[in-house]
Amino acid sequence: MQPLSTNLGILLFITVSLIAACGLIYELIAGTLASYLLGDSVLQFSTIIGCYLFAMGIGSALSRYIDRGLAYRFVWIELLLGVIGGCSSALLFLAFAYTQGFQLLMYSLVVVIGILVGLEIPLLMRLVRGRYHFRDVVAHVLTFDYLGALGASLLFPILLVPYLGLVRSAMLFGVINVLVALWSTFLFASQISAVRALRSLCVVVLCLLAVGLAEAKRITATAEDNIYADEIIFSRDTRYQHIVLTRFKDDIRLFLSSHLQFSSRDEYRYHEALIHPGLSAIPAPRHVLVLGGGDGLAVREILKYPQIESVTLVDLDPEMTKLFSTNPMLTALNQKSFLSPKVHIINADAFPWVDSNTDSFDFIVIDFPDPTNYSLGKLYTTAFYKAVARHLSTQGLMVVQSTSPMFARDSYWCIAETLKQAGLQTYPYHVYVPSFGEWGFVIAGHRDFQLPASMPAGLRFVSVNGLPAMFQFPPDMSPIPMPPNRLNDQVLVRAYDQDWKDISH
Amino acid sequence: MKASRRQFLQSGSAALIGLSIKGDRAIAGSFVNDSFQLGHQLRDRAQFPAPKQVEKRSVVIVGGGIAGLSAAWRLHKKGFTDFVLLEMNDQLGGNSRWGENEITSYPWAAHYVPVPGPKAIYVRELFEELGVLKDGRWEERYLCFSPQERLFLYGRWQDGIEPAVGLTAADRDQFRRLEDHIHTFRATSKFTVPMEVGFSDSTADLDRISFAEWLRARGMNSRILNWYLNYCCRDDYGASMSKTSAWAGIQYFASREPEEKGPLTWPEGNGWIVRRLMERIGHFVQPNRVVHKISQTNKGTSVFSGDTEYRADFVIFAAPTFLGPYVIEDMAPLRDFDYSPWLTANITLEHLPASYGTDPTWDSVFMDSPTLGYVDATHQSLRTHIDRTVWTFYWALAEGSPAQNRQLLLDKDWNYWKEAILHDLERVHADIRQCVSRIDIMRMGHAMARPNVGAIFSAERRTLTKPYGRILFANSDLSGFSIFEEAQYRGVTAADFVAGRLAGHRTSS
Repeated sequence: MQPLSTNLGILLFITVSLIAACGLIYELIAGTLASYLLGDSVLQFSTIIGCYLFAMGIGSALSRYIDRGLAYRFVWIELLLGVIGGCSSALLFLAFAYTQGFQLLMYSLVVVIGILVGLEIPLLMRLVRGRYHFRDVVAHVLTFDYLGALGASLLFPILLVPYLGLVRSAMLFGVINVLVALWSTFLFASQISAVRALRSLCVVVLCLLAVGLAEAKRITATAEDNIYADEIIFSRDTRYQHIVLTRFKDDIRLFLSSHLQFSSRDEYRYHEALIHPGLSAIPAPRHVLVLGGGDGLAVREILKYPQIESVTLVDLDPEMTKLFSTNPMLTALNQKSFLSPKVHIINADAFPWVDSNTDSFDFIVIDFPDPTNYSLGKLYTTAFYKAVARHLSTQGLMVVQSTSPMFARDSYWCIAETLKQAGLQTYPYHVYVPSFGEWGFVIAGHRDFQLPASMPAGLRFVSVNGLPAMFQFPPDMSPIPMPPNRLNDQVLVRAYDQDWKDISH
Repeated sequence: MKASRRQFLQSGSAALIGLSIKGDRAIAGSFVNDSFQLGHQLRDRAQFPAPKQVEKRSVVIVGGGIAGLSAAWRLHKKGFTDFVLLEMNDQLGGNSRWGENEITSYPWAAHYVPVPGPKAIYVRELFEELGVLKDGRWEERYLCFSPQERLFLYGRWQDGIEPAVGLTAADRDQFRRLEDHIHTFRATSKFTVPMEVGFSDSTADLDRISFAEWLRARGMNSRILNWYLNYCCRDDYGASMSKTSAWAGIQYFASREPEEKGPLTWPEGNGWIVRRLMERIGHFVQPNRVVHKISQTNKGTSVFSGDTEYRADFVIFAAPTFLGPYVIEDMAPLRDFDYSPWLTANITLEHLPASYGTDPTWDSVFMDSPTLGYVDATHQSLRTHIDRTVWTFYWALAEGSPAQNRQLLLDKDWNYWKEAILHDLERVHADIRQCVSRIDIMRMGHAMARPNVGAIFSAERRTLTKPYGRILFANSDLSGFSIFEEAQYRGVTAADFVAGRLAGHRTSS
């Protein structure tokens, strides 16, 4: 029997707490992520804890089949845990954003991590068995195991999630697992044959995880969490914009370059108001064009008209339309509108596309981000509306998302005037969308617009009876004379800037 | 060795933690469109082949810049088909030449036309024909998009090129006084575009002093005002305001009163107009034809180019007038024609610098820079998202004598000018070298006529605006300065004169 110094003994048992903490952290991360992304935290935590504990049982059972090279295998288990556990959070985020197999991956990861964690303690107990009495081994190892679990469960909500975020927390504990592996090669040096090779491997894995830790910010920027009130569940810089999805309970919000695009709680108000007053007023609509609207929510409303044969959607950002075609949570929101065979998605810059295309449409929806800069401002000019109007069929109408007649009154009436100066008749209206406030649209066309007499069944907000009120503007939103927005004199961008400045001061 | 090992460790460890060291891009490029070799052959009276064939034409137009093309456009519109236009370069357009790469087309020099006033009747006629002016309205897509211009001063950008921030009360007062003067001059209707319309001997005094002297005499010594006015002189005339005639300085401001927010511009600059003109009269045009000799009798003219002798009733000499004495037999050397040397560069950017500063703007100028700044060729694009672009960089070598600067243009290699351009851009865009992938440079020894003191009222200039026997000079330099409207005016009026004489001849015979 080899005597072990007390110091070394303490270090050994600290190792036990550390690995216990790591195991618990991975489990907590999986549970938290699943709750954020899929909702229903009771279900998520219950199933994940269940799977995890069951997998640990499998690991413990498997441990009996390991009889040679215990120390060597223990180091390997720590390394694997470090890599798999450390990357688990990042992998899950990516899987959520880009695949439909989030849940499959999540439970697979939970099971694999559980098995590895289940192997740890039995192996460790057998490794130190020769050094202590069996009674002491069980007592000490289990004591430190539960101590580590307590530490982890306190650390996780108080320090890790707020300050590091989920991705980096996982990476950090991956690093700890690998440090344990490295430390074990010294602790059990006498029991490992190829000790040098193993140590080098540990160092390499350690470096990789350190890179991951430094780079994790790109996967989810935790600093950004502070900008948005709710938890960020998706964040990506595309070539064109910064897409952020947040979730608080059942409210999903989309932000494009920090501007709120919709809240899942009330987006039906916006999209019903955008589509139905205009589209229902067209006798026999067959072909519809949507400019912008990469979230598929406007298309969802358009598809409520069975006589429509084709919907052409032109949106700049392929990542946006892909996200809203594939992500289960988002396709649930737009009712898989992009998967309809009637829908044709074109990823192109709207103005040149409108300029070069010659098709004609019965209804044209213009749903662009607000004119916050001169580039976007080009899509609100007389030149643009003239180019769009050339695509209107004889019965055709178009509708334009036109900012808020309440908060950006100058801008709203500038857009209406611009449509007028483009040679169109205009019919401005507004609705109340809680997450946006009072919001405005303009229907425009070469012909008269008359309020529709019927609308598709099942609408939650817009109704035939409610329509006339939408076209009334109370004095605080009533028209003000504005010049039109032209390519060579973009008064709208300056007005919009000023409107919002006036509100925030 | 130590340094290199440290470098290796630095880059190695940086790569390891995922921080890529931002390296400067390798920058490709060369001199392009050099034409001084051809010009120097003429200057040095090189031997040219004897003619082997004779072609007869009513009119030969020499030079395919805006003046020559406008003369051809005018003759064609009047129903003439018996003429030819000879251009020495392979590309038409002169100062309105353009280039193109996979990102955009871009100008090589002239890149805009101010929105023409009511007196520029020929420009308006052309623009109506080209769809730029429709039912009295200027086509929005051809007007420069917002935001148009910006100036970098005191470490920040401001809207517009006329300095507006950090002015003292005295500066403001002087700007106001200048405006009053300009207003008065404008009201006289003696400063017009084209200049010939309002030209009056009563303004001759202004041509006897420089613009700088004129300002000094009126106590306008504001450094900011003087920077701005000097910039305007360099930009329009390629000369500093101490060399520019006060008449020309005043003309710059007093001749225009735009009826719409402009200017008119296109990705390829005035190359767009050249393209449209070529669609109409391209079949009368012969590129790569150097005219090396022109002789005339009172019966007709002979124009020698390559192995061809063109016998024509009239010659419209639309090439720069300074070439006249080298080509036209027995023409006396010119004394009053001076030209500014210029350099332009087209700079390909893979992305905008992080230090760009504002929304993408058409024209960017740096205060106190010797250069004129840069113009963004993709600004007139209808796209909302633009990452790669081409900047056209302008540099009138206005300090020092034109002859010295011409020599400098010839002596220094591409690398020298490339570095000079990057150094200038680095004043404002520290990260410019990480963005630029290509810089092509065009050297122009005689880019534009220079309205020196006395040039406008020069008897020589005024004589050459009249027929020289059967030769009509038509280059913009006959106006004393080079702008699109003057070139077009000279070309059109020369064509009108010739057309009138030919028609008269026809009816009388």
